[in-house]
Amino acid sequence: MDFKLTEEQELVKQNMREFAQKYVDPIAAEIDESGRFPAEVVAKLGEMGYMGMPYPVQYGGAGTDYLTYALAVEELSKSCAATGFTMSVHTSLALGPINNFGSEEQKKKFLPPLCQGKHLGAFALTEPGAGTDVSAATTTAVLDGDEYVLNGTKTFTSNGPVADTFVTFAWTDKSAGSKGMSAFIVPKDASGLRVGEHFMKMGIRASQTSEIIFKDCRIPKANLLGGEGSGMKIAMNCFDHGRIGIAAQAVGIAQAAMEESIAYAKERVQFGKPISKQQAVQWWIADMATDIDCARFLYMRAAWLKDQGLPFTKEASMAKVFGAEMCMKHSIKAVQIHGGYGYIKGQKVERLMRDAKITEIYEGTSEAQRMVIANNMLR
Amino acid sequence: MPDILCCYKWVADEAYIRSGSGGDLDLSMADYKISDYDKNAIEEAVLLAEQHGGTAAVITVGLPDDTKGIKDALSRGPEKAYFINDPAFVDLEPAQTASLLAAAIASPIPYDIIICGEGSSDLYAQQVGPRLAEKLGIPCLCYVQKVELNGSELIAHRKSDEGLEVVKVSLPVLLTVVPDINNPRLPGLRDTLAAGKKPVVEFTAEDLPSIDTAALATTATKAATIKRNSRLFDADAAGIEELVQELKNSGAIA
Repeated sequence: MDFKLTEEQELVKQNMREFAQKYVDPIAAEIDESGRFPAEVVAKLGEMGYMGMPYPVQYGGAGTDYLTYALAVEELSKSCAATGFTMSVHTSLALGPINNFGSEEQKKKFLPPLCQGKHLGAFALTEPGAGTDVSAATTTAVLDGDEYVLNGTKTFTSNGPVADTFVTFAWTDKSAGSKGMSAFIVPKDASGLRVGEHFMKMGIRASQTSEIIFKDCRIPKANLLGGEGSGMKIAMNCFDHGRIGIAAQAVGIAQAAMEESIAYAKERVQFGKPISKQQAVQWWIADMATDIDCARFLYMRAAWLKDQGLPFTKEASMAKVFGAEMCMKHSIKAVQIHGGYGYIKGQKVERLMRDAKITEIYEGTSEAQRMVIANNMLR
Repeated sequence: MPDILCCYKWVADEAYIRSGSGGDLDLSMADYKISDYDKNAIEEAVLLAEQHGGTAAVITVGLPDDTKGIKDALSRGPEKAYFINDPAFVDLEPAQTASLLAAAIASPIPYDIIICGEGSSDLYAQQVGPRLAEKLGIPCLCYVQKVELNGSELIAHRKSDEGLEVVKVSLPVLLTVVPDINNPRLPGLRDTLAAGKKPVVEFTAEDLPSIDTAALATTATKAATIKRNSRLFDADAAGIEELVQELKNSGAIA
């Protein structure tokens, strides 16, 4: 049993912290307010090697383990949950399926610009009628000569408006049930691909989210990922490792909420003493610190299992549901510690509380995580 | 093509130092880092090597466990590290550190320019650089904020209270640099991952002549405290007169 990170992991964490303080902290409030996509920061993340961390060097990645990547997501999310998520969804959900299921040609073609951050990736699975119930999707793909023709509408596509490369899912044989869905790599300039409505979100406002509409969208047959019928398997695999990133993001948000709360509680004087001297506040901080450690150890364990090549589906879901829920709970408490000031725009905890909510929803709701965990416990 | 050697100190990060119950410094939570101005020294060494060819290497004195510092330093660009370490090297004073550095460098380690930070983030004694130059018998220029290198001649801009002093010197030379000299780069991910693969040459106490025993005895290191009198004076003529008298008594005004 060893709770110690390697020196490289500690240095990556430290350097990402410094990166975030230098480039992200100064703009985090502004991009939350305006909903602007921080393209300059994402480009810089790419230059620094952070946009393809856990993928092989031969495809432009940095070749780190998954734990190191998750640690970096936590540090970045501590400064800006939207930027942390942009990195996480790109890395886990767009690059993940190409790396894990792509052919050698596909990896050589698509991964290098994605890993270098020159291209941004998106994962288009959700549809208006198909959220947790992926099988309710209606998008279809029909082979026509050397091309697949895609028709359907995807929604809530993270990075949608700014992505260069999409991984998307469509039925190639609806009658085959879960084995009838296939995954595809779609470049943004594919004919018939259109970015639909941009969504205004409650939190992670600098992360860009939109509909993606495929109308007779034609892509080369060579862009089929992992063979016809493997779409569902690919989607589930993506979610397994994506959840580790979201758990790390949630820990980053909660850590920021706690640090803000501690600093404020030591400064804020009521009844002649700092509120940090009140037992109620002390207990809230104690609970925050305890839950954050629990959540951090949960995501680190899930990442470690993945790095060892061991099963980690249940553990990733545990890390995600616990991390997200403790993040929501304590970001609300952080606002409470700040009192009226915490309810005012410009206070970091106000943003953190809005950002926290999405962690309970995307990449599998808390309820979906419980389904996964229960299925593992009761089978 | 100059060989540039750069000295750094691995210090407790002041952000994590707590004040203990007895007013002492509690380092138990402290993370360690490369001393702030030493990052400028490393950056300048790497910049000079990039501009003029040659090599940049780092050298440090520390405990055997301080290997994270080596990787941190190497991730910032130098291609080699010299690591003088021994379990006995605890709280060395500047004269001892300078002796160890000088002995290792004389072993020999090739150099044309040695760069140190002006002072360390923890003690800021500003002594290791000048003492090392003295032991090596080479010129020392302190408070350097700009360097120009032309072959074997170096021009240093030195910051002083009176203004700027521009000095020309022949190599070899030792410089101590101030933070204005550059903005240290942030290592990229690949730099961090590659650092562990760069060569590290180790020296232990056995490899070097024994150092003098410490001349200084540290009796205590205490956290700085600010005492406030918090006395209220009335806002009338008598109160103001009282305040002025109090300030005179305390020596705050004459």
